[in-house]
Amino acid sequence: MDFVKYIDLLRKNMKTLKKVLIAYLVAVVIFDVVLPRDEAHAHYWIDKVFAFWTVFSIVGCFLLIKIGKGIAHLFLSKDEDYYG
Amino acid sequence: MDRWVHPAIFFFIGSLLLPFVKGKAKKLLILFIPVLSIIDVALMHAGTYGSYRFLNMSIVFGRVDRLSLVFAWVFVIMAFLGALYALHVKEDGHHVAGSFYIGSSLGAIFAGDYLTLFIFWEVMAFSSVFLVWYRKERRSIEAGFRYLLVHVFGGLLFFTGMMLYYYKTGNLVFDRIFPDNAGIAEYFILAGFSLNAAVLPLHAWLPDAYPEATVEGAVFMCAFTTKTAVYVLARGFPGFEVLAILGTAMTVYGVFYAVIENDMRRVLAYHIISQVGYMVAGVGIGTELAVNGACAHAFAHILYKALLFMGAGAVLYMTGTAKMSKLGGLYKYMPLTMIFYVVGAISISGFPLFSGFVSKSMIVASAHEKGRLMLMAWMNLAGIGTFLSVGLKVTYFTFFGKEAEIKAKEPPKNMLWAMGLTSALCFIIGVYPKVLYDLLPFPVEYHPYSLPHLSEMLQILSFTGLVFFLLVKKLQPEAKLNLDMDWFYRKGAWVFMKLDERVISVVDAFWGELYRTVGLRVLFKNASISYGFDRKVIDGVVDGSALTVREAGSIVRKLQTGRIQAYIGLSIFLFFLILWFVLRGM
Repeated sequence: MDFVKYIDLLRKNMKTLKKVLIAYLVAVVIFDVVLPRDEAHAHYWIDKVFAFWTVFSIVGCFLLIKIGKGIAHLFLSKDEDYYG
Repeated sequence: MDRWVHPAIFFFIGSLLLPFVKGKAKKLLILFIPVLSIIDVALMHAGTYGSYRFLNMSIVFGRVDRLSLVFAWVFVIMAFLGALYALHVKEDGHHVAGSFYIGSSLGAIFAGDYLTLFIFWEVMAFSSVFLVWYRKERRSIEAGFRYLLVHVFGGLLFFTGMMLYYYKTGNLVFDRIFPDNAGIAEYFILAGFSLNAAVLPLHAWLPDAYPEATVEGAVFMCAFTTKTAVYVLARGFPGFEVLAILGTAMTVYGVFYAVIENDMRRVLAYHIISQVGYMVAGVGIGTELAVNGACAHAFAHILYKALLFMGAGAVLYMTGTAKMSKLGGLYKYMPLTMIFYVVGAISISGFPLFSGFVSKSMIVASAHEKGRLMLMAWMNLAGIGTFLSVGLKVTYFTFFGKEAEIKAKEPPKNMLWAMGLTSALCFIIGVYPKVLYDLLPFPVEYHPYSLPHLSEMLQILSFTGLVFFLLVKKLQPEAKLNLDMDWFYRKGAWVFMKLDERVISVVDAFWGELYRTVGLRVLFKNASISYGFDRKVIDGVVDGSALTVREAGSIVRKLQTGRIQAYIGLSIFLFFLILWFVLRGM
């Protein structure tokens, strides 16, 4: 199927793909900076900080993985036949 | 249409006809039942139907208004998609259980009083458990029993609340309850409802049972139980602060486990808790926008979560496992399944143009509108976890990642069609949200495609993706089991068994011994006296009656063949005889 070929093509060109994605991320941040902020939506400080959700996502996602895996390894994870 | 036909009837009667048809006709019937119910719902008008007097209370089977209709719509659509997905299942019992489950969910959402609701509520639990048991593995049978016991407990909470409510008000009308008037009765009912909505800490039954259900059964289960509970919460308890807080806690709790779980379907099951959390929080916030959001999200969620379970089920069906530690590289072998799964995943994550974007954001916006910024932040954190776990982790480790030994093919055609149709619906709702918004209980003034919202979601999704690829090694799924609240009753039961073995059985044995030595002697003496009295006095008075009874007994004995079919046949015959007498008398 053609679809599989496209994916394989992407996988072969990882370096280009990475560059495109980084450019995309930069575009996302720029979009949030230039975005018009009308008073109707921006009531709160959250709405006025540039790229607030960028920082929030990076920190939040990092903590979610670290804390999640951390607690799992600390005491939540057991062998699969733990309950018999 | 003046006459109202309860859509549950199609499912109850239709499924009972299933064992009598064969081959193509059976498949047609399986699809025909939900089609009839869709037509029925399409023809429905708001109003109160099917109300009866029973024990001096009014019983309402058909409360049709905008709130019940939006749920009815998605239930019957899902019934069709689920039936299509399960079309290849051979066992009639599986289809019958599924139909009873859907029928009773419809019964619950149209119920206008607690008694009717309670009956359908229990039928739901008792029919859905068969969708777990039909997996026919030891783990499923055990999980099914736990599922049933927990739901019986929830039913008892609800029942207690219902009785107290009756005691307090003298009726069982199920209507909106205001937080200021709520007493112990209302909170019992709320607890019973919350258990079915998997509200913390009454949630552990869900990730325990759903991953052990059959491939097709899980698709049904993920749609109906929790969403019926969301409906009753939206009906009865909007504006309860406790729901806003617990709901928001659920959103994060669910994704937390979804991030660390290994089994695809368990990731999805935990993620139901997270998604239902948004709806519960919406109900708790209680504004028109929030309740609308809860309904819209329930609608969208049923479709994309079913789609995800269909995709994960297809992988399990074709490879024999849903454990990500054993999977990988499936995109080469199941590309269509992957595309459909990814459509579900980006819908649930709230990508623009897909259904989650237009539904989830209503609830987040309602928190924002009310100035509940903490709730909003936690919900967006859960949004990050959603994309991280369901979107990226499962897709990556199942369809990409390192190549596993397991090779597979695409699933049967009916499964692919069901996934394709569901994907199409997720997309249609995303690009044309009006179809969904027009169904909502309150008039909507909400535009999801505003620039700030678009920017917010793009940042959240894109940078979650970035962190995922930076930390992907950390997220490697591990073949482990993660403890949850079910530990208390699973290990608690073990403690009880030990107690029983060591203490209760010892006391019991001692008591038995005491009884044998002392009690029996007294009993024998007594018996011999009364026997003498019986033979000499009573039989003398009513002469001949003992003989008649003995004769009749020997006839009855012939009926008691010991064959179960004979008993069932006889019971059905007697049932119809009684029914005939009753109807004739009316």
